[in-house]
Amino acid sequence: MKGASLRIEHLVKVYPDGTRALNDISFDVTPGEFLVIIGLSGSGKSTLMRCINRLIEPTSGKIYIDDVDITSLSQKEMRELRRRIGMIFQQFNLVKRSSVLTNVLSGRLGYVPPSWALLNYFPKDQVAQGMANLARVGIPEKARTRADQLSGGQQQRVGIARALMQEPKMILADEPVASLDPATSHSVLKYIEELNKKDGITVLCSLHFLSLARRYGTRIVALKAGQVVFDGLPKDIDEQWFRNIYGEEAIEVEIA
Amino acid sequence: MKNEVLPAPRPIAAPRPWFQSGRFLLLLAALTLVYAYGWRVTKINLGELSRGTRFVKPFVVDLFRPDVLARETKTQDVQLGMTIDPRFPPEQLPASSGPTLSASTRVVAVGSQVTITGRGFRSNSTGTLFWVNRIGNPQQVARFQTDAQGEFQTVITVPETFRGPASAGQAAQQRVRAQVTWAEGPLRPSKTLLIVLEKVVETVFLALMGTTFAIILAVPLSFLGAKNLMAKNPLGTTIYFITRTFFNIMRSIEPLILAIVFTVWVGLGPFAGVMALALHSIASLGKLYSEQIESIDPGPIEAITATGASPLQVVRYAVVPQIVPPFIAFTIYRWDINVRMSTVIGFVGGGGIGFILQQYINLLQYRQAATAVWAITIVVAAMDYFSAWIREKVV
Repeated sequence: MKGASLRIEHLVKVYPDGTRALNDISFDVTPGEFLVIIGLSGSGKSTLMRCINRLIEPTSGKIYIDDVDITSLSQKEMRELRRRIGMIFQQFNLVKRSSVLTNVLSGRLGYVPPSWALLNYFPKDQVAQGMANLARVGIPEKARTRADQLSGGQQQRVGIARALMQEPKMILADEPVASLDPATSHSVLKYIEELNKKDGITVLCSLHFLSLARRYGTRIVALKAGQVVFDGLPKDIDEQWFRNIYGEEAIEVEIA
Repeated sequence: MKNEVLPAPRPIAAPRPWFQSGRFLLLLAALTLVYAYGWRVTKINLGELSRGTRFVKPFVVDLFRPDVLARETKTQDVQLGMTIDPRFPPEQLPASSGPTLSASTRVVAVGSQVTITGRGFRSNSTGTLFWVNRIGNPQQVARFQTDAQGEFQTVITVPETFRGPASAGQAAQQRVRAQVTWAEGPLRPSKTLLIVLEKVVETVFLALMGTTFAIILAVPLSFLGAKNLMAKNPLGTTIYFITRTFFNIMRSIEPLILAIVFTVWVGLGPFAGVMALALHSIASLGKLYSEQIESIDPGPIEAITATGASPLQVVRYAVVPQIVPPFIAFTIYRWDINVRMSTVIGFVGGGGIGFILQQYINLLQYRQAATAVWAITIVVAAMDYFSAWIREKVV
């Protein structure tokens, strides 16, 4: 399986209240890259992620996924495109009262007839695939557990399994480890890294800690006030760049 | 480096203790006024609590001996024709094989004394003698005790009775009636218990039907009353405000008042109670449901949308799982409240157990009333427990 390519051109997002969240953003992502997006809270990382699968409608600019301009797609075409873009969230966004397996299978909804939803029906082979994906993230025994019974790290792994059900060409991970402790953060990021290395899925991942960004990213894009202020290799971010991105007062905090 | 001398700490004036502050004294004066007026206007008279004990005692005593079990009652009932006017001879009633009555004289005058003798009654039992006028009104004139042979002899005074317009005629023909009643056989549920049980079932179902009608209307209305879904354009905002206003007004009207309106509308009986509870519950449930819809976590909606699901699938997988358990919990809770409500709705004629409870109290049948009170207590407590258990399971 080959990852998707992404090209963003002059992307602007202005919220109704006048906030200019993204201000003329342009960069390319080649298939199979692990792109880490860093930046302060409010720098536009989440908005950028959501513009890529149009959970948020961009104000202007173009986004090409595999050379298809997604900003001009209809809602129906957009839904079909979203099926191949997995998304992982800071707050996991699982349906807490549903079982883990139902949460995983919901990643498959774009592929099944909507009427099946009334009976919560999924074909046998997809249930088997759901179980396989749960096994892949190391929690097959939790399939029948309610999602809110799981620990944070386990919930995020369910989120990864849900994204895997989509057989994605690209994964958007919006601060996937910001709610987790350091040890769990590494375990979750290792699963995402594995998808990137083994399956060749293009990954866009926003992170808070520069140490994590350096460890996992093949490339880093830094946002500041809705603009790209750095685009390059992890090793090129030095003390000066760090101050530039995070402000003069910032001190780098290491995460083990 | 030169040693800097720290400035001497300035003494801080100790604040006045809180009970000396002007604001506190003002508050104290205001509260005193409020409670003094409250005491007067509600006519609080704690002395009545002790003076009134003798009135409430029979009720309290009977509360602990409700009419639940009873033996089958058997009755011997014999009548004897009498007359208070010699021109009209006493009736000759057909003789029965059982007990018989005889009188020292069967032609009597009002106020005179007459000896009544009975034979063949149940031995060693107590009975009652009634004087019965022409139109069948009994008036108790004596109690008697039969001997080992089942006989008794009692002197009675002929009472003044209502004789009706035809005072000169047939109304003079009156009767003496002897009644011996006793209980025999095994204990079985009393008649009161059977009536109460029937009414308890009616009460629970009254609440169930009222709640069900309320759900059917409250669920769609609650979506119209959810700000996060409706307040996206001026039309939606208007609908939202109208729905919420309806909820708030209807919720503030007690079901008891609604029941009075509905007894006038559809007549006395449980249907009026069902309608009253339904109308009130639409508003209560609607408000609770709307608030639940407003408080759902938008995260799952975003996540399911991001998988490429259609809007219907998003509702099914991201919205429904979040609102169904609390909806069930609220509904059971409302049913629980409605069972409690329906016990009093009968007081205004809305059906259910309150209807007969009020009758028993008015007739001073405290033992029967006690049966109804206990039944209400048990049902309400059981519903309370059941609803708490269900809510714990689903939420």
